[in-house]
Amino acid sequence: MSVVWTQVALAGLWGGLVALERKAFLQAMLSRPLVAATVMGGLLNDVASGLAVGLLLELFFLGTANLGAALPENDTLAATGTSAAAATLTTATGAGSTPAIWSLAVLLFIGLGRVGRRGDRLMESYSARLARVALSSAEAGNLTRAMRQNLWGMWPHFVLYGSLTSLCALAGYFVEPLLQALPPAMIRGLAWAWPAMTSVAAAIAAQGSHARRAPLYAALGAAAVTVAVVFVLLQEQR
Amino acid sequence: MSAPPDSPLSAWVLLRVFLRSLFLQASWNPKGMQNLGLAYALFPALERLYPAGPAREEAVRRHLVFFNTHPYVAAAIVGGVVNHETRISRGEETPDKVVAFKAALMGPLAALGDGFFWLSLKPAAGAVSAALVPLLGVWAVPVFLGLYNCVHVLLRVRLYWLGLTLGDRLVEAVARANLPARGAKLRAVAAVCAGGLAAWLAVNFGANAGGAHAPLLAAGCLALGVASYVLVSRRVPNYVVLYLAAGLACAAGAFL
Repeated sequence: MSVVWTQVALAGLWGGLVALERKAFLQAMLSRPLVAATVMGGLLNDVASGLAVGLLLELFFLGTANLGAALPENDTLAATGTSAAAATLTTATGAGSTPAIWSLAVLLFIGLGRVGRRGDRLMESYSARLARVALSSAEAGNLTRAMRQNLWGMWPHFVLYGSLTSLCALAGYFVEPLLQALPPAMIRGLAWAWPAMTSVAAAIAAQGSHARRAPLYAALGAAAVTVAVVFVLLQEQR
Repeated sequence: MSAPPDSPLSAWVLLRVFLRSLFLQASWNPKGMQNLGLAYALFPALERLYPAGPAREEAVRRHLVFFNTHPYVAAAIVGGVVNHETRISRGEETPDKVVAFKAALMGPLAALGDGFFWLSLKPAAGAVSAALVPLLGVWAVPVFLGLYNCVHVLLRVRLYWLGLTLGDRLVEAVARANLPARGAKLRAVAAVCAGGLAAWLAVNFGANAGGAHAPLLAAGCLALGVASYVLVSRRVPNYVVLYLAAGLACAAGAFL
């Protein structure tokens, strides 16, 4: 096993940047799992893993929202960490991206969403300190210093989540022996777990859509797609 | 962006205020929430409107008090505050007007923004793009960003402009946009796409892994989705449902 340190560094850089974009700046949804994970995959030379992880996590976290002071799970950290681990795991195996790798990465790293929420809560106390400094600076007439405090609130997000994402990328290399040790039947099971988990995530997404008649709409969507696919398959068989 | 006709602020200053409003939540804190971000955004305008000294310090201090709203819709309040501060600096109104303006609008606009952007547009753009992944592959990502941001950026700029030009009257203009009704339609789109994608995944899984048992596997996968929906609706944690499904699928894949 040889660690590609440029991959670890790139993972940390992208993880840190999207952590900033998630709340501190712009919020143009670069930090959504579908985007953050796919770009992570692209940066680490494994777009397939990034897209697959991003798709699942986008659906899984579709209904979460940052409402008022309530903190949702950190879907961005879950996406960047999981996709980075999946990409480095793929690099370590040297055999290309597979559904078994995606499943294993998701099962091991999806809990990062909760870790991220705890991190967000920790950083609030730092921001509270900045607010106190800003107020005292404004009272003392030092307005430039007071205004600068707003920007100081960003670096902990970059450093903390960038470091965590780098660690996930590194962990991907160490998980590879575990994957190799699994019996073929288990690998097949993990490959089957991928569509099952994505299907479940889609159901969770339908529930999290907040639509008033979500079950009806989801059933309509499912029926339309099933009919269309069966129709296409029948056409192909003729 | 050109400045409103009667504004003493140049277009450059107004643009700086808008760009700095993108950092509204950079130092979000539990006590003042977006107070630092708001003062930071307004500072270039306050610098031009008030001479250095007590008047400027007073103006900054009145925006360092508690402030919290939706970060996109905040653009309307930022614009409105610049409008009010312009009149305060000319002596046309008292400072308590701008304080009352913020207090009156931040709650209702937060509810409007949360309902439309976080609970409707974001899930809809996400679900549509996720459903397009089987068709477009990685191109679903720019579709997601395009769909979301053409609405987000346009509304953000528009709301800032409405605040700048209309001040207090921006409420009527925002009400005319009828965002809650549009949000309800977007949520339905999200549910349809999620259901459609679940069906596609099940059918595709059956076709790829099933061989002679393809219909059975596809139906099983679809049933798993329906069961998950019911479990999540009954407050079973999402993680439990996901790990349960993974365990079942692993067992099925290993032993069937």
